[in-house]
Amino acid sequence: MRAKVGVYICECGPNIAEKVDIDGIIAGLSEFDGFGETELVVKKYGFLCSKSGREFLEEEIRNLGLTHLVIGACSPRDHDSTFKGVCGRTDLNPYLYRIINIREHCSWVIDDVEKATEKAESYLRGGIARVLRQSELFENPIDVNPDVLVIGGGVAGMQAALSLAAEDRRVSIVERSDRLGGRALELSGLSSGTFRGSDIAAGQVESVMGNPYIDVFLNTGVSSVIGFLGNFVIELLSDEDGATTEISSGAIIAATGCAVYDPSLSGSYNYSDRDDVYNPLEISRMLSSEGGVALRSGGRPENIALVHCAGRDELNYCSGICCGVMMKTALLLKESIPGVDITEFYRDICVPPHEGRQLYESVLEAGVDLVRVESAGLSGTTVSFREKSGVEDQRSFDMVVTAPALIPSPDTADIALLLGIPLDDTGFFQEAHRMTDPSGTTTDGVFIAGTSQGPRGILDSMRFARASAGLILTRLIIGEKLVPEVAVSEILEAYCTGCGNCLEVCVYGAIYSDGSKGVSVVNEAICRGCGNCFGSCPSGALRTKHFTNTQLYREVDEALR
Amino acid sequence: MNRQTDTEFTPKIVGFLCNWCTYAAADLAGTSRLKIPSTFSVIRVMCSSRIDHNLLLTTFFKGADGILVAGCHPGDCHYGEGNYYARRRFALLKKVMEVLDIDAERLQLSWISAAEGHRYAEVVGKFTEKIRELGPNPIKGSTRF
Ligand SMILES: Cc1cc2nc3c(=O)[nH]c(=O)nc-3n(C[C@H](O)[C@H](O)[C@H](O)COP(=O)(O)OP(=O)(O)OC[C@H]3O[C@@H](n4cnc5c(N)ncnc54)[C@H](O)[C@@H]3O)c2cc1C
Ligand code: SF4
Ligand code: SF4
Ligand code: FES
Repeated sequence: MRAKVGVYICECGPNIAEKVDIDGIIAGLSEFDGFGETELVVKKYGFLCSKSGREFLEEEIRNLGLTHLVIGACSPRDHDSTFKGVCGRTDLNPYLYRIINIREHCSWVIDDVEKATEKAESYLRGGIARVLRQSELFENPIDVNPDVLVIGGGVAGMQAALSLAAEDRRVSIVERSDRLGGRALELSGLSSGTFRGSDIAAGQVESVMGNPYIDVFLNTGVSSVIGFLGNFVIELLSDEDGATTEISSGAIIAATGCAVYDPSLSGSYNYSDRDDVYNPLEISRMLSSEGGVALRSGGRPENIALVHCAGRDELNYCSGICCGVMMKTALLLKESIPGVDITEFYRDICVPPHEGRQLYESVLEAGVDLVRVESAGLSGTTVSFREKSGVEDQRSFDMVVTAPALIPSPDTADIALLLGIPLDDTGFFQEAHRMTDPSGTTTDGVFIAGTSQGPRGILDSMRFARASAGLILTRLIIGEKLVPEVAVSEILEAYCTGCGNCLEVCVYGAIYSDGSKGVSVVNEAICRGCGNCFGSCPSGALRTKHFTNTQLYREVDEALR
Repeated sequence: MNRQTDTEFTPKIVGFLCNWCTYAAADLAGTSRLKIPSTFSVIRVMCSSRIDHNLLLTTFFKGADGILVAGCHPGDCHYGEGNYYARRRFALLKKVMEVLDIDAERLQLSWISAAEGHRYAEVVGKFTEKIRELGPNPIKGSTRF
């Protein structure tokens, strides 16, 4: 069939019409003979994106029997989907259309009308040449499972589950330990004031247990995950009896929490189990126990040192919450042991703006001795330190409390492997994009929340959990189908040598090797169409369907004509 | 097939821009009404990692005097790590270009985020100046490798 390309140039009011001689382009394109047998229809219109503009285009496509459509207008970022929608209401496959940006890249950036016109015409020629090389692609909407799996039942995991259940989503929480609540419940001794983290967690546990939309699997881990956004199949493994359960879900939230650094691993902290050196979790336990805070020998400490920043140099990051924890600990110790002297050795004070300031002032008021140091080490309960001024000194105490950094939990790497998501350079789950997608991951359908993605407090853990839940609610809508990206890559079996280069570069793990045929295959449901694999293939077997070399060469040819 | 050098040389430059960062920066340059030389032609790809050696060399053989490949800043690639791969492939290609007698300076890789409309205009302007100084691409039209 002879191709008939409709080329419609939008005036965009004065935006394009004033800087580009559209009639000149219509004449130029009509005379151009570089497209062989192809028939061109070239017209202009006031505002193509308006309702009347869209209707005009639909009629043109139908009445003239267009085989391809090129729109000369604004950025695809503005209206690509608008004109794809126009095609969708006709028989024209949306992948046989192309929008050419002659506004942002032409009329708005080139002052000289003659030059802007020439440029617009060249871009349009490129668009026509390219669209003739495009092929039909068919979107294949798939049914989705709106249920969600949450791995980890700490404040983050429980918050995500509760937010989802509030919108009638069925959620399964898989928790490796024998209870929900996570770390926050261990902090009851340290909880104070109006914001009591352990109370929040306890309240969540109650809501989760009473929620008909949430199933809880305790003493259970995840042993395998297959699938993709909308359709995951997960195998759960019970730690109690080794039994496996298969569940399915449309999305997964990983909220497996973090671990706490062991200060004795640091060369500058030398102490043993017999020394009265504790971390805040242990202090929390003592504070909420009947005996209160006591020395191993049984007596009450008369003076206590709080030493900040254990692990900061070794790990090369600041956990951001420990200063607040230490100041709170200092206040609680003062309260619980009358007359105790407390010295805090800190390097920087890193606290949230509002509450942090108040905390700092309360600590000063309570008479805590704050000493700013450049470095500090332990030898038993003797603190050696170098002050900012350079003065070095050491002081002995009855008891020392360290502030260990939050570090990735031992499970983080295993879970990342199961879910196919990367770790960042500190070993926590890595978000898809620091700024634009801090709750997503490179695996579509897998989200992260809480301290498994980096050190943070209870409220921030819950905020990220709500963000993940919100993303799932907007991506996986009950009763709606999902349209996977179709402008993806494919591997031509006949050319593929099975070398596996492409498998290595795909960050989404979208390529697998088909052992029986000795070739690699793209899983089109997972591929995002970035094209990275293309350049890795030495055999010319890869094809990026909507960005083929032929399509790009036609654009290059017209740009260089 | 050398071009006349006595008349003023108008360089032909192709810019392969990634959809998520630099293409958006180019849009922003437009919205901000910055000036872009009309000798610069934008070709949109989804990610800088799509640009392979063949495409670049063929574009030089087809007569481009300069090629700019621009994408998201390291760590910001929409597809995670695409731009790291692009950078690695580039380092290799620069070596191939020397052998083929194409001045390595004719190929530039830049990271320009969606918010950097001004920087986009500046990079394109400076690159155009550089290509103007280098003169016409000597291998234009020679047989493909
Ligand atoms: C000493 C200390 C003091 C702190 N003080 C404060 C404070 O004062 N204020 C504040 O806001 N924050 C504080 N925090 C931080 C706070 O504890 C965390 O922000 C919060 O508890 C994180 O919740 P989460 O749900 O991300 O992780 P967690 O509470 O750790 O929950 C993770 C859950 O996942 C489970 N899990 C792990 N691996 C798996 C697996 N493979 N499969 C299934 N389940 C798994 C774990 O058993 C756990 O129940 C403190 C932290 C520490 C260590
Ligand atoms: S195009 Fe990108 S996402 Fe798709 S298979 Fe290739 S590298 Fe993976
Ligand atoms: S890189 Fe090319 S030849 Fe090698 S496995 Fe992938 S598609 Fe096949
Ligand atoms: S998406 Fe911009 S460089 Fe990969």
